Amino acid sequence: MKNKIYWRVLFLSPPLFVFSVFVLFPLLNSFYYSFTDWNGFNFDYNFIGFENYTRIASDNLFQNAIINTIIWLLSAIIIPTILGLWLALLIDSKVRGTNIFKSIFYLPICLSAVVVGQIWIWIYQQEWGLLNTVINFLSENNFEYAWLAKPETSLYSVIISWSWQQTAISMIIYLAGLTSIPKNLLEASQIEGANIFQQTIYIVVPLLIPATIIVIALSMINSLKGFDILYIMTEGGPFHSSDTLAMHMYNESFRKYRMGYGSAISVVLFIIAVAIIGIYFKQLRKLEEIYD
Amino acid sequence: MFNLTKKLLIMLNIIFLFSVQILSAGGEVTISHYFSGELGKANFMKGVKKFEASSGIKMKDSPVGHEDFKTDILVRAAGKNLPDVFSYWAGARVQFIVDSNSLLPIDDMWNSSGLDRVVAKSVANSATMYNGNRYLVPLNYHYSGMFYNKSVFRDAGISKMPNNWDEFLSLCAKLKSKGITPIALGSKNRWPAQFWFDYLILRTVGPDYRHKLMTGKAAYDDYAVKHAMSIWKDLVDKGYFTNNSNADTWTDASDKVARGKAGMTLMGTWITGYWNGMDLKPGVDYDFFPFPIMSTGIPNAVVGPVDGLVVSANAKNPSGAKKFLSFMMSNPDVQAQWTDGQGALSANTKVDPTKYNSVMQRALRTVANAEVYAFNYDLATPPPVAEVGLSMFTEFMDNPADYVSILSNAQRNASREFKN
Repeated sequence: MKNKIYWRVLFLSPPLFVFSVFVLFPLLNSFYYSFTDWNGFNFDYNFIGFENYTRIASDNLFQNAIINTIIWLLSAIIIPTILGLWLALLIDSKVRGTNIFKSIFYLPICLSAVVVGQIWIWIYQQEWGLLNTVINFLSENNFEYAWLAKPETSLYSVIISWSWQQTAISMIIYLAGLTSIPKNLLEASQIEGANIFQQTIYIVVPLLIPATIIVIALSMINSLKGFDILYIMTEGGPFHSSDTLAMHMYNESFRKYRMGYGSAISVVLFIIAVAIIGIYFKQLRKLEEIYD
Repeated sequence: MFNLTKKLLIMLNIIFLFSVQILSAGGEVTISHYFSGELGKANFMKGVKKFEASSGIKMKDSPVGHEDFKTDILVRAAGKNLPDVFSYWAGARVQFIVDSNSLLPIDDMWNSSGLDRVVAKSVANSATMYNGNRYLVPLNYHYSGMFYNKSVFRDAGISKMPNNWDEFLSLCAKLKSKGITPIALGSKNRWPAQFWFDYLILRTVGPDYRHKLMTGKAAYDDYAVKHAMSIWKDLVDKGYFTNNSNADTWTDASDKVARGKAGMTLMGTWITGYWNGMDLKPGVDYDFFPFPIMSTGIPNAVVGPVDGLVVSANAKNPSGAKKFLSFMMSNPDVQAQWTDGQGALSANTKVDPTKYNSVMQRALRTVANAEVYAFNYDLATPPPVAEVGLSMFTEFMDNPADYVSILSNAQRNASREFKN
């Protein structure tokens, strides 16, 4: 028994050490600094209690960032999930050139967020970007809309770029899920007179629930981490129209030199992330109980 | 006996290695800077190599991209890991870190090196003193003016540059009538729009009022600011600015001028380095004129940033760091080499002006003749307030008609930032 504990400690200590240094310590540090007026340079900071947290309540940029974060989270979960399922079903229907399509659709996931962001900046470019060129070709107009520079469209334009990349992950997971659906079930339903639409709704989609759970979990976790693509494409602009909580935290900490306040925002973001993931896994357990 | 000798040898070896480490640490200065562009880095490194050769001090260099530097230096400060020497923008940003006790005063080096006789007075007065002490050597400075495409102006029949606002408006109208958008602005990264705000305030109400505004003693919703913004709005309404300026970077705007799609752009002298890199000839393909006078009786001010070098308060090698600052500032050859081709001006008065190209020589004279050298907006007001203003400019460019409510909103946010 003693020997077993010895080996456990031995094997777990390297990852625990890394986790403590790079995750736990910064996390606790953020909690600590969220109660200070630290500006990043001066270590003679003051403890100001909950002042940073009360400030959050009256910060209109924080409220703007919360709304954008909700839009970002919902879109980043719903769009890749639905599109990924649709593409997987399309590829699974054995059309010609399936492997080529699979490779093409999978390609975005091999690119970093910085590269994806830059590609879409070019697509959205007002004068010679692909999107406006296609619109002009179809409408024979001289349409020069600056998708990323207008507050009405900046956030949604980034969401589309993000979804383009994330759909690839969903598609691959759904494709793997589709292979586990028993073919005889589909054949039996066909004999019973079910058409493709009915097969999809009543057999395929319910049997893909385990895959959907993974897709939603991954989309959620990835979208909570989604800072880089926003930073590359809009930097939260124009004038905060695409600020999410992560972007707002960055602005306050690194542009305004308000590390204490930035830490308080990061704590709130952490609590939101824990709450969402907690609720999700609680629901997941309920689902597992039903399946068992 | 053999064992004893062996042990002694090992101990001597360890002592030797320790001594070498201690000596090399004492003779090393760490430096981080944002001169990471191809030309800037090469020129800067030439100076560094000369310093190493003449002093025997090793410089441990870590350049960071210009925009990334703003985050990088803060991360290093937060980790109590500031380099001995680092580059920084003179003005409110240096004031901020001086107030945070993160910089070492360099008065002793300044006096012993006789920098009072070397550094241009206007730059020394505005850029180097903070809370009564010297903290920064001005490695170079820039000037913001109206840079234009000569062939576009020639084709539009413009030969005389405007001296006052009416002449400027006629020039814009003439370009517009020829189908050329008069002014290019790339405000995607926000800061390029600040020069318009700076000059409109400086030319209509003067440097004293601007100083009050930058320090929170005047308000963004004052009549003076509204008036300046209304003039800016008139220019936008007349179609004198390129469309969707918030979609373009400063290089996009510069490209539009270089390609003849727009006539001019209000930009810092670094644009000359960019255009020279595109094989455009200074004085032949492009030139500049100062922002026109708008009201008489107001001191003539010019706007620009000063790039400086500062020493960290916790520098491991403060004397080596100060020697480096002194060398880079007081040596005219190093200064001339540093500014060569970059579109920067040396604050060292001993640098031979003929080493600059014709456009930069005129820029030098324009600054010398000005009564006030003012830092551009984001270096003149504290960083949290600068964030408010920079966003305000892009919001204005998106919807100039709403300038009154945009200014009221900016004032609410700015007064909150000044209080915090």
